Amino acid sequence: MSDSPIIEVQHITKRFKGLTAVKDVSFSIKEGAITGMIGPNGAGKSTTFNMICGYYPPTEGQIFFRGQDITSKKAHEYTNMKIARTFQIMKPLKNLSVLENVMASAYFGHAAAKNEREAKEKAMEVLQFTGLYEKRHVISKDMGTPDQKRLEMARALVTSPELLFLDENMAGLNPAETEAAIQLIRKINESGVTIFLIEHIMQAVVSLCEEVIVLHHGEKIAEGTPEQVMNDPYVMEVYLGTKKEDAAHA
Amino acid sequence: MAEKKRAVRIYHRNLAMVLGLILLVFILIPVFVKSPYVLNVFVLVFYMSTLSMAWNLLGGMTGQNSLGHAAYMGLGAYACCLLITKTGANPWLAAIFGMVVVGLVAGIIFYPCFILKGPYFTLVSIAFGEALRQFIINSSFFGRASGIGLPFGKDSWLDFRFGSKVPYYYVGLIMVLGVYLLMKKIERSRMGYALRTIREDEDAAAAIGINPTRYKIMAVVVSAMVAALVGFFYASYIRYIDPELMVQAKSTESVLPAVVGGAAYVEGPLVGGLIMIPLSEFLRAKYSAILPGINMLMYAVALLAVIRFRPAGILGWYMHSNVKTFIDTKLLRKPSVDVLEEVELAQYHKEEV
Repeated sequence: MSDSPIIEVQHITKRFKGLTAVKDVSFSIKEGAITGMIGPNGAGKSTTFNMICGYYPPTEGQIFFRGQDITSKKAHEYTNMKIARTFQIMKPLKNLSVLENVMASAYFGHAAAKNEREAKEKAMEVLQFTGLYEKRHVISKDMGTPDQKRLEMARALVTSPELLFLDENMAGLNPAETEAAIQLIRKINESGVTIFLIEHIMQAVVSLCEEVIVLHHGEKIAEGTPEQVMNDPYVMEVYLGTKKEDAAHA
Repeated sequence: MAEKKRAVRIYHRNLAMVLGLILLVFILIPVFVKSPYVLNVFVLVFYMSTLSMAWNLLGGMTGQNSLGHAAYMGLGAYACCLLITKTGANPWLAAIFGMVVVGLVAGIIFYPCFILKGPYFTLVSIAFGEALRQFIINSSFFGRASGIGLPFGKDSWLDFRFGSKVPYYYVGLIMVLGVYLLMKKIERSRMGYALRTIREDEDAAAAIGINPTRYKIMAVVVSAMVAALVGFFYASYIRYIDPELMVQAKSTESVLPAVVGGAAYVEGPLVGGLIMIPLSEFLRAKYSAILPGINMLMYAVALLAVIRFRPAGILGWYMHSNVKTFIDTKLLRKPSVDVLEEVELAQYHKEEV
């Protein structure tokens, strides 16, 4: 694992007609690490995420993957570059079993399965890894949120990515389920996958991330280790509001 | 393990026997049924089910509801008939020509249309069918509204021309089986998984590396080519085609068997076709002379009943019913999913060693 960034984002801006959703944001993602992005609702996290994943191009700025400009790459070209993502709102193939869902993904990407047998074997392996093996014959729409979130990750992992984007993978989970999800994400990272995640749950961000980026009103307001970011006065103000005496001094 | 393997073998044998029996019944029908009318109904079932399977690839598997399949079928029929009448080409070659032409036309026309989603795509497919029909009505090359007739003559396999309905019955049966096997193959292939992922969500499809436009075009082209094949069969059977072939109602007719049978299943159009087409013909023969239009009314009521009480279609109901559980366990002696899987994986393992 080298120190050079796997993703480098340079001055990206996104305007939707008159509204500037993201303004001049730059950061980089270190290879092999877990990097998090936090911020209040409407801060532009998902917009930034979607730009990096190719769902819409930035109005200005550039995105580099291992030094290669990928700003205008389409979303479906990412899997072949060994980049995978999950969605905040789960999008499984509702009427297919868990196994078939993962098999569907196994057919695509840089290490695509050539036949049904290969797809099945790859899928089984990933199901064991993500702890869904026992539920492989369950129809995916009949599962609860935690398992559907796991399925999202399994579908991304079976494309053998080197970089994984997780969009609020723990939203809607209870503390025990969150802990299980944290363990899984750590395990994925330890297997050599670089992870970039958006998360609202601070417990998860603090325990997982080496590096945190904070967005507010579409601008980057802080970055650093979780401790540095948590103690940043501006971040505290954004998250907790100003203290009364501070306001009086100002 | 040996016991489990035996159970799986017995199940596969039972399944093959039941399917073989059904096939045998269909093969033997013309031997016992001599009425041309009944045979005609079967031929109708065969080609309408095939057309419906073509629709199902796009509507059921990919989630792109097309209401223009009569136009593909009509264009296929016209391409074949024109080639045969203008150049005297062999009908079988003309069939291939028709399929290629329709595949190309569908691919080129729908390539820019796939930025449209949902109902907008459906509207374009309606407009495409209607525009094509108007074009043919007004073009003397296509014979305007009077249509094109194929030459009659003595029975010949080379010219695909028969006085009796029996050869058409068997060719129709082969066509419906061939297209069914093709659809089954597609369903279990990379393309099938891609199409079903696109049906659920295009963004999710793109996230695992599926190019939605590319696969949708592939689906349209294959679907249109199968529809063109049906057009060829229809033209050879009826031996006369006119622009009425492409009216909107015909496109809707191609959707019905799939929806009634269960659009989520490859077998849906077959089941729907086997039920709805004989029903429609029976009502027409029995009641239309008593009170004109009453047959359509009864057909509509039957259709509404299916949609109201079995919205997932007949197969959608059957797949989760006790009837299936009973047939699977008692009749076919199907082992549990785990046993099936264990044997399958063991099979993989053995091949590796």
